[in-house]
Amino acid sequence: MMNDERYDIADQVTAYAREKRLSPQTVARWQAWTVPDQAALWELVQVLQLGENHLRDFLDWCEEIMLRDGGSIAALLARTELRRPLTAQLGRNDKLKAVKEGLRKIRYPRLSQLEDELRAAVKALDLGGRVQVSFPPSLEGEDITIEIKARNAKELSEQLTRLHQRLEDGAVLRLFTLLDQV
Amino acid sequence: MKRYQPEEILIERGEENAPVVLRARARLPETPVRIVEPGWERELSPRNEADSFAAGKRRLLFTRQRSTFLEHCPAGTAGLVCCNYLVVSLISNCPMDCSYCFLQEYLANNPLLKVFTNVEDLTSEVAKAVDRQPWRQFRIGTGELSDSLALDPLLGFSGDLVPFFATRKNVLLELKTKSDCIEDLLKYDPQERVVVSWSLTPPAIVESEEHGTASFAERLRAAQRVQAAGYKVGFHFDPLIEYPQWEEGYRDAIAQAFSAVDPRRVAWVSLGSLRMTPALRATARRRFPQTRLLSGEQILCDDGKWRTFQALRVKMYRTISAWLKEAAPQTPQYMCMETASVWEKVFGHAPACDKDVARMLTQPHVATL
Repeated sequence: MMNDERYDIADQVTAYAREKRLSPQTVARWQAWTVPDQAALWELVQVLQLGENHLRDFLDWCEEIMLRDGGSIAALLARTELRRPLTAQLGRNDKLKAVKEGLRKIRYPRLSQLEDELRAAVKALDLGGRVQVSFPPSLEGEDITIEIKARNAKELSEQLTRLHQRLEDGAVLRLFTLLDQV
Repeated sequence: MKRYQPEEILIERGEENAPVVLRARARLPETPVRIVEPGWERELSPRNEADSFAAGKRRLLFTRQRSTFLEHCPAGTAGLVCCNYLVVSLISNCPMDCSYCFLQEYLANNPLLKVFTNVEDLTSEVAKAVDRQPWRQFRIGTGELSDSLALDPLLGFSGDLVPFFATRKNVLLELKTKSDCIEDLLKYDPQERVVVSWSLTPPAIVESEEHGTASFAERLRAAQRVQAAGYKVGFHFDPLIEYPQWEEGYRDAIAQAFSAVDPRRVAWVSLGSLRMTPALRATARRRFPQTRLLSGEQILCDDGKWRTFQALRVKMYRTISAWLKEAAPQTPQYMCMETASVWEKVFGHAPACDKDVARMLTQPHVATL
């Protein structure tokens, strides 16, 4: 039974690799996993139709999480936050985005938490939809970018007033402080 | 620590009687020797083996350095604070095999363990450079392309370098090592001009990631002995590794290090986050599939290297720097390959220019001249 399963997975992965033109190194890494781990990723790959780059991210993150946290890749990929998007009423791209974001949160727990806190702090500023606050990629750096869109001088003045109030009450300062805290 | 034993010695024709070759052959009488023609190095480098980098370490080639010895430390990168360090390399590649070592990528196409025979060219080049600017204090290290001391029992380079640098008043030689090969050093008087420094990581990391190096305890015993012999010592917490028990690991490592040596004679301490290019990560993953180094929360930075994300990295630096300050209040600390803004966050100030860092590190040693 175990042997049959191994051959099934190997055949399916080989056929998929041919179809997607995956590199032999990437396929070899996947096939070096235990059969249950290979099968767990295979299930996900079929739904998400992963190409070389996304597949390599999944391999990297799964292996890195296992080396850090222990357990098995099959158990990792069975987690609700990764399973739920697979069956949700979403297109392939949205499913991929949701699963990858879920896996990234497990791979980068403190970075993800900090990003969540910053998002919440920006929301609390209540600056309206035409003021965008953004942070450097992966929070590497100090600059916070504030982008204001205005159709006229009155609108710009209102937005600047609101932003000034947030500066005065310390809410903007909180963003800078948060950016530096884990 | 296990001493290095090459499988074969290769000697470039014409270098058979170089002093370092004669010393090595006398110390390895059983090792097979082959004379090779100049310029054969590329052909001799293993390329088709499963792990050609490891294979390269098993053969020892004696050859001449045909370009200059003295170079700026390559860590000096635009946008990052530089400490104006100079390097000379008498050896290329290293008998040790740390899973994070940048040589895995840097020497991938030329991995033979090479020893340069023309030491006299190195010393005359250094003499010319430092004598041209007698007002300037130089720091020169040999630990860039190899461990400074791991091969010393075989090559005896300390006998060429320490007496030479001991007589130069405006230069400090730094010998950086993860070994305990200090026997030869003890024969010489460094005249306050030589700093022997150890890269330190917590013992758990030494065991899992720094293959073929001296244990943490062996390094500290060696540091104790060289300090007693008149050398200054240095410590490099570089690479700093973020792993689940990093706080406990580094706190204990610092406590042990500074109780083993006299903190007043520690010349400097550096901090530097683990940094790896994407290619180096791929190589480390292939050569050391069980390494946990890649499992930290590292992200790709602007200089093309992966590091622990900034907020966590700064937290590590601040925490460790505070412990160091407590253990050795007078010892200068600096960071390697970090931005001025990270310096500001960690130390409360950023150096105005590269010379500031160099001055901070060399000034205490000028006073002792």
